[in-house]
Amino acid sequence: MNLCEIVQARLAPDEKCLVCIDGVDGSKLAVSLAIVERRGDRALFIFNNQRVPPVRGSDLSLQKVYPVDLDLKCLAAHEHNISIQSGKDNLKFDIPRNPSTHDFFVQLKLAKDLYSQSAGFGLPASFSWLDKYRDQLSKESNSNPFANDIFDPLGYMKINESGPKKTAASKSKSLILPKSGSNNSLNSLTVSRERSPHRKKSPSRTKVKSTIAKSASKESLDDLDSNSEIVETLGEIQKQFGLAVGVPPKENFKPGTARDTLIEYFLHDRESEFTDIQHLSVFCGTWNVNGKLPPDSILEWLSVDTEPPDIYVIGFQELDLSNQAYIFSDSQKEVVWQEKVEECLHPKGRYREVKLIRLVGVMLLVYIKEEYYSHVRHADCDMVATGILGVMGNKGGVSVRIQIHNTSICFVNCHLAAHQDEIERRNQDYRDIEFKLRFKQFLPPLTIREHDIVFWIGDMNYRISDLDINEIKDLIAASRYKELVMFDQLTKQLGKTDVFRGYSEQAIKFQPTYKYDTGTDDWDTSEKCRTPAWCDRVLYKGRGIEPKVYRFHPVLKISDHKPVSSLFKVEIKVVDPKRCKKVYEDVNKMLDRLENDYLPQVELDHREFFFGEVKFIESQQKDLTVMNTGQVPVTYEFINKLDDRNFSKPWLKVGPNKSVIVPGNKVVISMEVYIDKNNVGDLNSGKDTLSDILVLHLHGGKDFFISFLFLLLNDVSTVYGTYVPSSFGCSVEALVQMHGPIREVPVATLLDLEQPGSLSKVDVAATGGRLYSVPKEIWRMVDHIWRYGRHQDDLFQQPGLDMEVQQIRDCLDTGSPDLLPGSIHSVAEALLLFLESLPEPVIPFPFYQSCLECVNNYLLCKQIILKIPECHRNLFHYLISFFRELLSNAEHNNLSIKSLASMVGEIILRAPPSMSSNASRQLRKSEDLKRAAFVYHFLTSEDYDE
Amino acid sequence: MAREYDHLFKLLIIGDSGVGKSSLLLRFSDNTFSGTYITTIGVDFKIRTVDVNGDKVKLQIWDTAGQERFRTITSTYYRGTHGVIVVYDVTSGESFANVKRWLHEIDQNCDVVNRILVGNKDDDPDRKVVLTQDAQRFAEQMGIQLYETSAKENLNVEEMFLAITKLVLETKKEQQRKAAEQPPDTIRLSRNHGKGKVKKTKCC
Repeated sequence: MNLCEIVQARLAPDEKCLVCIDGVDGSKLAVSLAIVERRGDRALFIFNNQRVPPVRGSDLSLQKVYPVDLDLKCLAAHEHNISIQSGKDNLKFDIPRNPSTHDFFVQLKLAKDLYSQSAGFGLPASFSWLDKYRDQLSKESNSNPFANDIFDPLGYMKINESGPKKTAASKSKSLILPKSGSNNSLNSLTVSRERSPHRKKSPSRTKVKSTIAKSASKESLDDLDSNSEIVETLGEIQKQFGLAVGVPPKENFKPGTARDTLIEYFLHDRESEFTDIQHLSVFCGTWNVNGKLPPDSILEWLSVDTEPPDIYVIGFQELDLSNQAYIFSDSQKEVVWQEKVEECLHPKGRYREVKLIRLVGVMLLVYIKEEYYSHVRHADCDMVATGILGVMGNKGGVSVRIQIHNTSICFVNCHLAAHQDEIERRNQDYRDIEFKLRFKQFLPPLTIREHDIVFWIGDMNYRISDLDINEIKDLIAASRYKELVMFDQLTKQLGKTDVFRGYSEQAIKFQPTYKYDTGTDDWDTSEKCRTPAWCDRVLYKGRGIEPKVYRFHPVLKISDHKPVSSLFKVEIKVVDPKRCKKVYEDVNKMLDRLENDYLPQVELDHREFFFGEVKFIESQQKDLTVMNTGQVPVTYEFINKLDDRNFSKPWLKVGPNKSVIVPGNKVVISMEVYIDKNNVGDLNSGKDTLSDILVLHLHGGKDFFISFLFLLLNDVSTVYGTYVPSSFGCSVEALVQMHGPIREVPVATLLDLEQPGSLSKVDVAATGGRLYSVPKEIWRMVDHIWRYGRHQDDLFQQPGLDMEVQQIRDCLDTGSPDLLPGSIHSVAEALLLFLESLPEPVIPFPFYQSCLECVNNYLLCKQIILKIPECHRNLFHYLISFFRELLSNAEHNNLSIKSLASMVGEIILRAPPSMSSNASRQLRKSEDLKRAAFVYHFLTSEDYDE
Repeated sequence: MAREYDHLFKLLIIGDSGVGKSSLLLRFSDNTFSGTYITTIGVDFKIRTVDVNGDKVKLQIWDTAGQERFRTITSTYYRGTHGVIVVYDVTSGESFANVKRWLHEIDQNCDVVNRILVGNKDDDPDRKVVLTQDAQRFAEQMGIQLYETSAKENLNVEEMFLAITKLVLETKKEQQRKAAEQPPDTIRLSRNHGKGKVKKTKCC
């Protein structure tokens, strides 16, 4: 079953799913978008997929239903990223790129075209069939009205920086995002916000926050600069799909950052806090002058009030009926009428012209009092012709828009289709003007409906119908306008249909303004004997408009129409710079706070680690728990401090040293202290101490210092913390001088012994000639093996037990018990470990290279041994003798000379640390062979003697 | 190019442990104060955007651990700093005595940097031991501005941060001015052409 069929299962029999595509919504949930048709009306259905992919109708849960009307807009920010706007809703979806997506766009465009056509015929779809789904929807959908609209910040934060694609897949649903997602979504958010500056509460707080979050990350700064580009491509794609008439911003469009957009949004939201209301009076006048020249005075129309209005809005129709008027842009009539108007503006006021615009006979003039002129900004005008063939200027609308202080006002003057029965044509003329008029100074161009205040005047040509002409005249004679107005075609539909939706009109308390015999107050006496009608009207829309008066001016008799005028008091929002600054600062502070909130935050259960006694090869482990208490995924990493090459001391193992934690989750980092053969020497010699501070760095955030402290245990360990010194890791030099077990040697003495060259300084005679020829610890182990283990099967080939090796270490370091504990294998391992831990190997590092070079010549090998320091030479011979003895017992202990040679070679001949790291594997292998060969000579040679 | 700010400055707060560095930052960034003392173990930062005579300045303010044992590590964070806020506690003579060391620390770790001296916890005259005039005299000697603040009572905090921001901004503008005033090579060339009159050449 394909998607379409699955959706079909959810529909009524007379409804048909035309196309359906799948996608992912803002909260990364799978959705299906379907276009459904019923008797020519089309609607967009949005389902949440309860199962992916859906298999039957019940797998779809209805989220939204939108009639495809003029209100519905589909913006393609990208081919695979669309946003659907209708009313207050603004939903974003990621959609796949495939043929059905293309079909979807085609169907959507078709649906929109069909709607505007049917609306054009005056048969706007009612979409009442959707009501049943809307009911269903309120039950099914989430209680959160923005549930579909949540722009999840988590996935967008720091994706670039931490690059955790793998984490994204495994850790959290919210992280599963296309890489490009952050850009597109952010921009579509920005754009959508810009497109609806008046929508007070539209973007949910989450969305706003998330944008901040995004902008908090450094990379986003660059992303944001590409806004303008996105807007361009947006327009391009819209054109391609023929979708969505772009709704422009209020102000001159200037691509800004997400932060600017948010600031603008919040400033607008709090406008009342920093604006004062100033009242201006607006005079709106309209007159169909029937092509006549002006009379001597029109003061009776324009200046009947005692106080001068602040703004004059004067509309004319049929100003020029000459044929030339259609062809030439100049009109003699325009000039004389304008002169007459300016002559007759209220004598008490001084006015300046704001704009004049004329479409053939439809002319609009706007004047403002001089004192306010400097506050007028962004004045613009446009016209729409709706006459013959829909293009001629005999009918149509002209418009002027201005902004005074912080309030935008639009004035429209129109002349709609004539004739008693052409009501639908008039309605369509209105729609054409309303939807086609564009103030192109703005990018994207501004429409009429995007103004705080609109005044719509003109000869609208709506008639009085369904009433006999004589009855009409009787009602007029009796001044029973209230009853008569019920039969007025405009009044009947105002507020009930889409025509002049949102507009109001003052109560008409004057007689119809049409049609009179020219020069008289008599109703039309011509052959046609037209029915009187209120053709000439003044409508208004917006907040803060107080209508004052609505009247006609029968004194002026030159035309078959009487002029009409209306006075309003309107509220103009004036910005108080001081308070504006205060609010601006407030908004900035709030945004900063949000940005700070979105910095990575974690809590650690430990800032300090205390370890007790730490001994050689005895591991101690503790855990550090890092809990992500912030709002964004955190990447933590231990970083090197100062000029250190590693983030921790060699005896400290930390893992994992880098990871990503999603909000609410935690990671347990293991901290293991383990002193091995490689680092014991430095601790013994005091080059290193058992203390460390780690720097735990959060990407894009703070650093924590984690201290490792070692409790002081006794006076022995004042310098070493509680590292318990061991003979393991002491130098041969120190060991041969060391009397008694190491634990009994004062620390200061130990350090002295470990000083290079300490042996040469020793006055042997003074110490009673007590200098060991080999370290006593080695002697004890060798002696032990010789005594108890020379016949041991698999000697040096079986591993010992860690525990026993530790006991042997303690025995050697403390001197008791007399007998080494543990098995022979453990003693053997301890011996090898001891030799490996020597900071300077048995054959010291400087001789390493020459040893390898002469492995082919036993004589040369012997000569090198003669060169090494005496204490090392003694030890070398001692060990070789020992191993030769063991080999002589090979029938019992199974020692093979080959394996013994390579084992001993590896231990007594160690590459200097500087060399060992960068050798290739092959090189290392050949070195291993050479080392074995070197030892082999000594183990096998017949003439070996000390 | 649209940018979120005109200038981005990094400020650093240093001073002895417990003088109120974190509190000052929290007061400035979030306008909050918590009476409970939590030692900063590490470095933390907050951002704040301020408007200085029409310039949008984004501040990234780093708060450091004051404890002695971290001193070598925290010195790493002086890198790239535009301004340093040295804080002492007006109720602790010792913390004031240590200011010299902190200033020394700045000299060792920063090249060009603006500094400001801040005596915090200036909200209880009975407990105050570092007198304003002493601190003022010292500040004058060192050629730096002194601010006495209280993060708890929100006294002078905003002013202090704005003062250091202004200093940093002035320094930056001064540097830019100097760079602009330096005669570009092209002037000398035009002189060689013998026109006599040196036309100011625009450097691109």
